[in-house]
Amino acid sequence: MKITDILTFYDKILIILVIILSLVLLLIPFYYFGSTSEEGEMILKVQQGDELIKTIAVADSYEEPIIFEVEGPIGIHIIEVNEGRVRVQEAPADDPLKICEKTGWIERKGPIIVCVPNSLSLWLESTNSDIDGMSF
Amino acid sequence: MKKTQKIVVISLLISLGLVLHLVESFFPLTAVVPGAKLGLANIVSLIAISLFGFTASLQIVVFRVVLGSLLAGTFMTINFYLSFSGGVLSFILMYLAYYFLKDYLSLIGISIIGAVAHNTAQITAAYYIIANRGIFYYLPFLILLALPTGFGVGLVSHFTLKHLPYSITGGNFDDKKSK
Repeated sequence: MKITDILTFYDKILIILVIILSLVLLLIPFYYFGSTSEEGEMILKVQQGDELIKTIAVADSYEEPIIFEVEGPIGIHIIEVNEGRVRVQEAPADDPLKICEKTGWIERKGPIIVCVPNSLSLWLESTNSDIDGMSF
Repeated sequence: MKKTQKIVVISLLISLGLVLHLVESFFPLTAVVPGAKLGLANIVSLIAISLFGFTASLQIVVFRVVLGSLLAGTFMTINFYLSFSGGVLSFILMYLAYYFLKDYLSLIGISIIGAVAHNTAQITAAYYIIANRGIFYYLPFLILLALPTGFGVGLVSHFTLKHLPYSITGGNFDDKKSK
């Protein structure tokens, strides 16, 4: 039995539509924010709920890594800033999925580290961007 | 199909869904895109939709999510709400797609609809919790990844249904598109 016996014509249309949808969604940020210029200094922003709790200049991390803790309802996150990159070094033991830890390092504008159970989000921003595109 | 028979099949499907949920955690798809997963438990939802009506399939989905979170110890936490919203929304969309577009879409198409709906619902629910628009950065990647996973899940459901004996399906699955 071949796959074309199962797949209908409308299935193929649906697959193409989904590909188009994801590509359009992928391109919207470029359209809005322009090209991601790496000029200016990168700063790390840490948000919990809708409150900005920490802002750190990433440039400070080149001499020695900055390690700090953020406390939330389910425990303490250990966050490491090292040579311009950011990661969650250790997620709380009560976090069942530990998605923030598995995200690994981020080093440019765009990707974001989230820990939904602790409503925590971390992202990088360059200082010379006049639009605050990421947060409210 | 007799009532006892139906109850047995429903409980078998629920336990199958729980096991698949566990098996799924062995595949670290989260390392590729944060929040991504295979959606193997969707196989059970698709089989249930093909075999039973709305109420019985909804029962299977709700029981799977509730029992799964009880086993993982996340009942009534944020993780539970996330999987509940994703599970129920994708189920409802898959049911509507099956009910209205059965003649046009195969189980693969319905499974892709469910996978995309699941990802969108979870990202939206997570957005309401962390209140950060940046989380939508991952949505296109998740939708793109929903294609191969949804395709595989649909294919597995199709072949499973084909090989189920009459005593389980009760003749509810008529395989007219592929002979």
